[in-house]
Amino acid sequence: MQRSAGYEALRFGLILLFVALTLIPTLWMVSMAFKPIAEWSATGSDLTWWPKNPTWDNFAFIFGQSSSELIVSLDRTAGRPILASLLSASFGTVIAMVAGTTAAYGLSRFGSGANLPLALIQLRLFPPMAVMIPVMIMWAFLGLTDTWWGLALIYGIVTLPFAFWLMKTFFDDMPREIEDAALVEGCSRFRVFVKITLPMMRPALASSALFVFILNWSDYLIALLLTTRDWVTIPVYMASLSSSMTGQLYGAKAALGLIAAVPPVIMGIAIQKHLVRGLTFGALKE
Amino acid sequence: MNTIADITDTVQKTPADRPNDEGHLGLWLSLPAQLLVLFIAVFPILMQIYISLTDWSPLDGIGWWRAWELWNSFANYTDLAQDNRFWSALLRTLLVMVVCVPVEFLLGLGLAVLFVDEFPGRRFLYSVLLIPMMVVPAVAGYMFFMLFQSGGPINDILAFFVGQPVKIAWLSDPDLALIAVMVADIWQWTPLMFLILLAGLVGVPEDQQRAATLLGASWWRRFITIVLPRMKTIMIIALAIRVIENFKIFDTLFIMTGGGPGVATETISVYIYKVTQQELIWGYVAAIALAILITLSIVSAYAIRHVSSPEADT
Amino acid sequence: MSNNAHVSRRRFLTKAAQTTALVGLAAPFYLKPGRVFAADSLAEGMVGGPTGFAGAERYQYGPDTPEGRAIEAIRALKAAGKAPTRIVLGLSDGSIGQITQPFPAGAPSVKDLWEKETGITLDIVGVPNGQEFTKVMQDISTKGGAFDIYAVEWNRLGDLAETGGIANLDEYVAEHKPEWDDPERGYVGGAQGVSLLNNYRGSTYGVSLDGDFQTWNHRTDLFGDPEEQKAFEDKHGYALKPPKTWKEHDEIAAFFHRPDDGLIGCTDLRNQGWGYTNWYQRYVSTASPNQFLFSDDGQPLINSDSGVMATEEYVKSLAHHSPDAISWGWPEQYGNFANAGAAMTCAFSNLPKFLDNAANDGSKVTGKVGSHLPPGRMHDDKLVSRTVLWLNLSASVSSQSEHPEACYLLLQWLGSSRIYSWMTANPGGYFDPFQLSNFSDELVRQTYHDYHMDVVRESVRRTVPTINYPGATAFHNALDENLVGALTGSMSAQEAMANTERSWKRISRRVGEDKLVEAIQANKAAWPDLTD
Repeated sequence: MQRSAGYEALRFGLILLFVALTLIPTLWMVSMAFKPIAEWSATGSDLTWWPKNPTWDNFAFIFGQSSSELIVSLDRTAGRPILASLLSASFGTVIAMVAGTTAAYGLSRFGSGANLPLALIQLRLFPPMAVMIPVMIMWAFLGLTDTWWGLALIYGIVTLPFAFWLMKTFFDDMPREIEDAALVEGCSRFRVFVKITLPMMRPALASSALFVFILNWSDYLIALLLTTRDWVTIPVYMASLSSSMTGQLYGAKAALGLIAAVPPVIMGIAIQKHLVRGLTFGALKE
Repeated sequence: MNTIADITDTVQKTPADRPNDEGHLGLWLSLPAQLLVLFIAVFPILMQIYISLTDWSPLDGIGWWRAWELWNSFANYTDLAQDNRFWSALLRTLLVMVVCVPVEFLLGLGLAVLFVDEFPGRRFLYSVLLIPMMVVPAVAGYMFFMLFQSGGPINDILAFFVGQPVKIAWLSDPDLALIAVMVADIWQWTPLMFLILLAGLVGVPEDQQRAATLLGASWWRRFITIVLPRMKTIMIIALAIRVIENFKIFDTLFIMTGGGPGVATETISVYIYKVTQQELIWGYVAAIALAILITLSIVSAYAIRHVSSPEADT
Repeated sequence: MSNNAHVSRRRFLTKAAQTTALVGLAAPFYLKPGRVFAADSLAEGMVGGPTGFAGAERYQYGPDTPEGRAIEAIRALKAAGKAPTRIVLGLSDGSIGQITQPFPAGAPSVKDLWEKETGITLDIVGVPNGQEFTKVMQDISTKGGAFDIYAVEWNRLGDLAETGGIANLDEYVAEHKPEWDDPERGYVGGAQGVSLLNNYRGSTYGVSLDGDFQTWNHRTDLFGDPEEQKAFEDKHGYALKPPKTWKEHDEIAAFFHRPDDGLIGCTDLRNQGWGYTNWYQRYVSTASPNQFLFSDDGQPLINSDSGVMATEEYVKSLAHHSPDAISWGWPEQYGNFANAGAAMTCAFSNLPKFLDNAANDGSKVTGKVGSHLPPGRMHDDKLVSRTVLWLNLSASVSSQSEHPEACYLLLQWLGSSRIYSWMTANPGGYFDPFQLSNFSDELVRQTYHDYHMDVVRESVRRTVPTINYPGATAFHNALDENLVGALTGSMSAQEAMANTERSWKRISRRVGEDKLVEAIQANKAAWPDLTD
């Protein structure tokens, strides 16, 4: 379409403005992660935008390699919380995907579980904080408090709606001819599901799973209430990155934040196309 | 286009005329999801109903199952009706929603319009713009805490434009703190609106627009009369998602201000968190939770019926 | 020599990072050069205690000491098959270093020593600062059973005892005789002090492991600068020195308040959850010897001229605070002070041990910190200056523990004067001195500095306890919220006090007035009547 040069200039100007606004906080975190302790102070007259003496110390520090700059030592390194986040988010994804995929297939092909769409929307609607008291009591009773599998279970439940809706639209879109052909050949329905349908859906499964993983990985509130020591996740652990010697360990926090941002950013970019469907509970088709 | 109307459609569908073994298989397939839903719904709801009728608090030194010893009938619910802090937290939550969601929507829509035509670097910049929504909200909270310090980067940027030092104490002032947490929310979630609305915008068929152009319609007119009506459903979905998620706002806000100063940024989730963790009046928390559950169910049932009415469907 | 110290520190840091799987940030220690190390054996007549450094004999114990009896009783329990193999202690992150890190060079860690002497593993679980009570309540209310011992703020003892979640220790105290009130080595204030810190309604429910007497610090480089002194005297007509009264304090703070040069007048906290402790100091000194919070019959006294005046001053003082004061917690406060960002502050007594510390390369105030007594008010030519005891970690035994006696014995061992002096001298955590023997201990004085230790001991004599009766959490929350409301200008000082009074009355009703009156009187008995 033909447009005036003035419009194009305005358009690019606006796009660059948006990009700048988006990037400022992100770049601040990146820059902070590489700043030595002397430059952390966010409240000084000597505020710096870019590290004058860039360093890897913050990263080394959170993994227990104390550096010359950071004179505090960490008894609990970030390794374990990263493991906790990985395990709980991954297995939470497995739970949500298994339950969501099978239920979506059941509804899409056989109309069973007709109550699920509404029930799952309500599940997503409700603020988790308001049910945390009974959940804390249940989890303690079942011995699930402060375990990665206990976290994985609740994550699986909380993200089930997204897994379900995503997979349901994929199943709805999928042509049934191939399945029908296999049925004519004499395969059982279940065999068709496992041997034919699921392999065909591999890309859809992968992108849904990545999407659910990002949601699980982002949680703060649930982990804050359901973990105490062994399986504290990254966002909860971040609160302990402060010390009486130096105050808040901003650099260490930023370094860990950067590490925490890597998996979702990479995955998010990888599944951009499918993100929209997940976020709209699959209501938008390509 | 698939809409929420489908939800109600499927609800009404019955698998009556399917072969029996398929029906069984279907039930088995939906069993895990059903069990998970029951698991998270039955006990919590029953327990909350029970303790919401009592004065029970973990400070009383008796287990929750013995809460009947502290029976208070509906006192928690009548207290709730008069609890100013609850109502102002609710109003504040709605205020945040009423400001954030439209701003996110308009910015997202504007960005989507800027991005709908191809230009060099479009794909790359598109990815860049999505970064904020992938930053873990808790991390975003720590970042914005630093950014909004009075000697921090945001004031530094403002000073650059104003031409003199700016020392606004964002997080120590009740009004500014609310603005600060809204800025953080808008920063993080405008990309989501952008993502969804751009997908919707790209989906509008070009032939109609071309026809209108030939008839001499201005860009603006085409946008209003052809593009926007076509995007109605997707816009409703985008707005609905943000309304739902924004209502639960907690992570970023809690780390930035802890609901403070005072109660200046105390939203519903933060209020419930504080009552749960600090005041420990759990019978009362249960009453709040149930009140919210019932309200949300009514609102959502109404919304689904309304949205899925034929004339709203395109 | 200093090079030697540096190497030891680095080695220690690496070791600390490698060994403990658990928790927390801890400080390095500073090895004073030129010491002669003692032989690796107990002094004559001693049955246990740390070895391997000069002066270790001060922390060793004979059979007839609280520590000796505790170890002996543990061994008896073991012989009877009634001892656990492991005790789980929940503790705030920052305190763990004092138990797990060896100090001084050559010594074992407190944890190693305990495990060596008893064979019972000490499993320490870190809890983020500020979340201690939350995590404990979660464990009690959900019957989680994750801990044998809880370490929480002392103020919560009444609340916790009422839940039934912590064990009554009377039986064990009677049997094992901890001698907390020993006049030479024990708690400040003798039996009175013990009752204040460890008891609730006449029974022992906790063992104090801390001394959070809020103390005042100032920058000696600023106060000693002749130019500053002259400028100050010219302006105010009296010499610049650490303030004795609130009026002087406010004037000095205003004098040094130069935010554009990165210097704040005073940074005693003003945020939610902590700031109200500084309001306390202004309030309780409005009468001689004390302005109480409640009358003897349990009526709130804060909605009065005294309360309004203290609140108005408290709000006005924001003028010489950081513009971000209302959002600053102690990490920001300590960070700012280390960065030479303030002239005065009021903090836990550990501030000089962390920030005036040669091993703290990040601190710009090493050698420039001074301490002074809390500011006060003149009443008939007598100065009433008061500070507060607040937070103060206390350990309690969980009712869910299967081995309450063994847990108590650990606490008796840990909280008695010899082991505690040794532990508090370790700069690796937040446990602060509170026993008579701590204040005079050479090693403690070295860590905390002589100049500071004497001020702390004097501050203790001027310390009023904060609320520790049942409902403490709710009482403090109500006060806190209204004070922050006043600070942010959303209500006047009068409204803040009136609102607090209303909330307090409601909480009193819920807690039960009888219980409350008894607890208030017990609390009051510990208030000082010292004037200068």
